[in-house]
Amino acid sequence: MTAAEDPQPRQASHGHPTNGIDETVHQRHRLGILTVTAEAQRAEFGYLREALDLTPGNLSKHLTVLEEAGMVEVEKGYTGRRPRTWVRITARGRAALAAELAALTELLRQHRAAHRT
Amino acid sequence: MSDEGKDPASGQEHGEPGADSDTGRQEAHGEPEPTDARTERAEAADETGQRLAGQANLVGEMKALRRRARAARHAYWFPLVLFGLLTCAAVPFYILPGYQAGSVGATQSGPPLPILGGFPGVVTQRYLGYYWLAALLAGLLLTLLWYRRNARRVGLQTPARGYVTTIAVLTVLALVIPLLSQVRSPQWLSWLWYLHVLWPGDLVLRGTFPFVIIAVGLWVLARAERSRALAVIAAVYTATALLSSLYNTENILFRLGWTPSGTDWSLTSLPNVLLPALVLLATGTGAFAVQRRHRTRA
Repeated sequence: MTAAEDPQPRQASHGHPTNGIDETVHQRHRLGILTVTAEAQRAEFGYLREALDLTPGNLSKHLTVLEEAGMVEVEKGYTGRRPRTWVRITARGRAALAAELAALTELLRQHRAAHRT
Repeated sequence: MSDEGKDPASGQEHGEPGADSDTGRQEAHGEPEPTDARTERAEAADETGQRLAGQANLVGEMKALRRRARAARHAYWFPLVLFGLLTCAAVPFYILPGYQAGSVGATQSGPPLPILGGFPGVVTQRYLGYYWLAALLAGLLLTLLWYRRNARRVGLQTPARGYVTTIAVLTVLALVIPLLSQVRSPQWLSWLWYLHVLWPGDLVLRGTFPFVIIAVGLWVLARAERSRALAVIAAVYTATALLSSLYNTENILFRLGWTPSGTDWSLTSLPNVLLPALVLLATGTGAFAVQRRHRTRA
């Protein structure tokens, strides 16, 4: 089954919180892309590049990984004569982001609890 | 965030958060551990600690990114100021030139758009309904264009479609409900009479129902903007819109000492209009200042 066919990303709710960590999403720049795009209807390539402090090539690579995983959609268009690339998060991307953040938060919570006892 | 393109997750094991916590316990109950084993355990604990610190940092970074993106795309000052100005521009329609003191309700015959323009016989002018129909649609169009422009400028698009759809649907309903609920023939269309249950009751009496439509739109916009500040503004504005629709606000001014005389009587419905306008203009100006300061800082 390909990533795009998989209806749901791994959930953080089963077993150890690290089970909810998806290697596609866990990379900090890809997690950043999903975080920003989840905040808006669409995010422009230039905004993502500046916000994440990435080169265009590097951002493109991360976007390709996320697009192949079915987590974002890339739309190319024009504003006047200026080409624009917009990135939109998919439902799968949102679910993966939520699972990742829940797993990370749970991991930290367990670690703090273990240190307290 | 650095631009190294490394994948910190790949090739790393995700350690058990509490794995290093029993290091000292084994030592206490058994033979003393060799120095190498202790060093290895200390290194493993250190590595786990660093990894968790990195993950805590990652969560913090994502929160900061989300905060910045949310603040960058906030642009709701414009619809607030716009609808505040459109409300101010409606003031002439609430002044009654033919109004005589002591003859409450002596107005022109019923407005043709009663939900938008006020109930027949109550203090509103004939063309108020047409004004609000045009103003709401123009306000929607300008708001839509504003959000498109802001998306191009900032690089983040706010989902404003829900806001536009809500106001458009409410405006159309306000337009068609009075017409359709009066249809009696042909017989097969007589069921349209039941649409009168959608009539918003006393809210339409003073010709201030458009404020309620704007208030509903602000709630939808607050959700789209994910802004608590706008939700608070929407709550304050909703309270003001309901007050203006259900109560003669000028009574408060009477108690504060305003005693209208002569032509002043024709202005008595203005507090019901100016109070919501003031709320929109004041909060819109405040939001503009905050959003501009944020952009300058960014």
